[in-house]
Amino acid sequence: MPNVKPEMRVIFVVILSLFAAFLFLPLLILFARSFEDEQGISIANYMSIWSDRNMIEASFNSLKVSAAAAFISTILGFMLAYAIHCTNMYRPLKSVLKTAIVVPMLLPTITYGFAIIYSLGNQGLLTKLAGRSLFDIYGFNGLLIGYVIYTLPSAFLLLHNAFQSVDKKFIIVSKLMGDGTLRSFANTILRPLIGTLGGAFVLSFILSFTDFGIPASLGGAYPVVATQLYQVMLGSIPDFNQGAVIAVLMLVPAMFGIWLLKRLERLNFHYDKLADTELPRHRIRDAAFGFISIATVLGMLSVFAVMFIAPWLTAFPYDLTFTLKHVISTFQSSDLTRVYVNSLFVALLTALFGTLIAYSAAILNVRTSLMGRSALDIVSMISNTVPGMVLGISYLLLFNGSSLKGTFAILVICNMMHFFTTPYLMAKNALSRMNPSWETTGELLGDSWFNTVWRVILPNSASTVIEMASYFFINAMVTVSGIIFLVSAQTSVVASKIKELQHFGKFNEIFVISLLIFFTNLIIKLLCDYLQKRRTVN
Amino acid sequence: MKKTLKCVLLTLLTISLAIAATGCGKSEADAKKVVIYTNGDEEAVQAMKTSLTNSGFEGQYVLHSLGTSELGGKLLAEGKNIEADLITMSSYFIESSQNKHAMFKELSFETDALETHPSFYAPILSITGTTFVNTELLEQKGLPRPTSIADLTKPEFKGLVSIPDIMHSSTGWLLIQAIISEYGEESGKAILHDLITNAGPHLESSGSGPIKKIQAGEVAAGFGLRHQAVAARATGIPIDFVDPIEGNFSLTESIAVVNKDNETTDLAMKMAEAILKGARKDLIVNYPVALYKGETIDQVDKPAYPKGFAKPLTVELLQEHQQFFNTSKSGN
Repeated sequence: MPNVKPEMRVIFVVILSLFAAFLFLPLLILFARSFEDEQGISIANYMSIWSDRNMIEASFNSLKVSAAAAFISTILGFMLAYAIHCTNMYRPLKSVLKTAIVVPMLLPTITYGFAIIYSLGNQGLLTKLAGRSLFDIYGFNGLLIGYVIYTLPSAFLLLHNAFQSVDKKFIIVSKLMGDGTLRSFANTILRPLIGTLGGAFVLSFILSFTDFGIPASLGGAYPVVATQLYQVMLGSIPDFNQGAVIAVLMLVPAMFGIWLLKRLERLNFHYDKLADTELPRHRIRDAAFGFISIATVLGMLSVFAVMFIAPWLTAFPYDLTFTLKHVISTFQSSDLTRVYVNSLFVALLTALFGTLIAYSAAILNVRTSLMGRSALDIVSMISNTVPGMVLGISYLLLFNGSSLKGTFAILVICNMMHFFTTPYLMAKNALSRMNPSWETTGELLGDSWFNTVWRVILPNSASTVIEMASYFFINAMVTVSGIIFLVSAQTSVVASKIKELQHFGKFNEIFVISLLIFFTNLIIKLLCDYLQKRRTVN
Repeated sequence: MKKTLKCVLLTLLTISLAIAATGCGKSEADAKKVVIYTNGDEEAVQAMKTSLTNSGFEGQYVLHSLGTSELGGKLLAEGKNIEADLITMSSYFIESSQNKHAMFKELSFETDALETHPSFYAPILSITGTTFVNTELLEQKGLPRPTSIADLTKPEFKGLVSIPDIMHSSTGWLLIQAIISEYGEESGKAILHDLITNAGPHLESSGSGPIKKIQAGEVAAGFGLRHQAVAARATGIPIDFVDPIEGNFSLTESIAVVNKDNETTDLAMKMAEAILKGARKDLIVNYPVALYKGETIDQVDKPAYPKGFAKPLTVELLQEHQQFFNTSKSGN
């Protein structure tokens, strides 16, 4: 590792102060406000919240529906990952499934709710196909479907990655040793994956528990913590101290979850070396898993089908003649184009500065011997723990009177802090795998540290950088929960505009701009995949 | 590959800078734009936009729609620091936030309103509450035609009534006002309790919820906005309105200018005048209540039992009535 240079210290200090100002301080203020009341400092706010029947009901509902969704997502995610890794399903089908399952990630969660209403509601597309109303979607069922669609891609990706490091040779060994199907499954699949399965459950639970978009569009008569929080902060009688209490209460399960994730990591174990093993033929297994995975992915995507159909029809579901008028009128409204440009602006800046910061932080941590550099890991852990709504409220409390209020800057900063962890870990992972002596070699050849980073390190991690930028961009495009408290009329972005359109029940507009977000993200995703692929080929 | 990366980085940077440049240029222009916050329905918003366009203000304003409770919360919490320069909102909220923050500017123009109003706002529309029924469903279920809100608490209406929730909807308040005025708080509580029980899952957070349920044939009777029922009946579907003997109560929504003492405030004042002069002819079609001299409405739009609440409508009174609603809901 190179000696510590002054420029490293400068970058380190800049990054740490950014996190101090925009992550620690807001959270501190949030805690302080939650203990504040008219008489001074007390726990009265915490006591009074439990006298509110709605709040107790909401907490219970949130726990119940999030746990159910996490359970289903973990099982489905596991079956899909199993189908891809441990069956001899038709290969192209595997890659189609892998791509299709992450599609929901390109859409804001607030869209999910509306897609569910128009698919499974009384007049919905799927209801019409089925000929009758399947079940009541406003409440537990609707939220459950929404949360499962929302968390399944994440749960799947986690398990998919874990499966890649499971040695399938042992499946065959176990068979040869005469193990029964169950025993073999338990020892060669379940045991190596138990930690990740737990992780997938916890992650899905936290995501569901803290999401705002789905209950905002579907909740209605079924209160959950996220909608209660919104009402207390932006309802007819706003009570910021009460809001701070609910935000802290929302933080608690998230903190517990992250702690649990750390513990679960210890259950993971690593094979010495992975052998690429051909699995024995088993037609029934392949057919069964092929059917299950196709059904799951189709079921998931069918909910979104309406979004691609409704805007092109005159008055779905009553008048089904083709028309362009909704799309044209949406694009003609200067309002929406302005909001779309705002969104692109925020997402691009988030991608640019977010990648810059996450990458620098990772370099400092992995490739320098800077004192106190492990502080960056702590920062990343905190950022990972804080739900978007909690961060948004902290910003509202801290920056409400300041000149940052209602600016694009605050949206970009909020996104950067909110989505820091994943790109940071991507960069750390890539950077730690590189030869540690490059900087020293560069120095001996007379290059400055910056030069080495720019000419050697960066080009060698280009594919990771592209992936990081794409992660920041897509998440900034779809996030609702983080920014819902921070947008103003002039900085309104597409995802928050949907909330406004909901007020009028303008579903066609909602779907048109959802499609706009979807295709923008799709283009960015394909572009980044293409660039990454080209790099690996070279 | 190094080239690829550099290209990507440079493109990203250029695009961001380009957008930043246009964005900044825009935000400077935006700084002079008037920000309008409104709780109005789609028809009201359209009428306002049309009047602003006709007066040549197109492109000089940003209009942002919010729910009544959201906008109310912002007014009370932020006062003059609110982003908006011009608002249209339920009058009682404007009065309460003026009492709390003294945040509105005296209107610089005269109005010839039928009823007097404070000088810092002027009414732009009025909504009136009534009960309505789905005549076909009444017949089908063999139910008598109700004449009062109290009729809807009868056991035979169980699960067949839809009412708006005062916690989220100002239409819900019109219902509570009628009940309290007619029966007082004591017996009113029992009536409201039975009504909520009968409504069950049809307690709607939106004021337009009940009329939609009536149209869909999910319930036989409901409470909501009178003009919506009149309009629904005119389309030929089996819907009729029944002015309840407890009274038709009304709420006005008004326009007010936030006093920020700058050029935008002056421009906002001009827009307020333009909306008031230009939008009324459209607004009275959708919200048929005469508010200004010279306005006329059809006989069908005149409610049978127009009444006003005895106390002045304020946010504090709303909170009292919300409390009343909540205790009636849980009380036995």
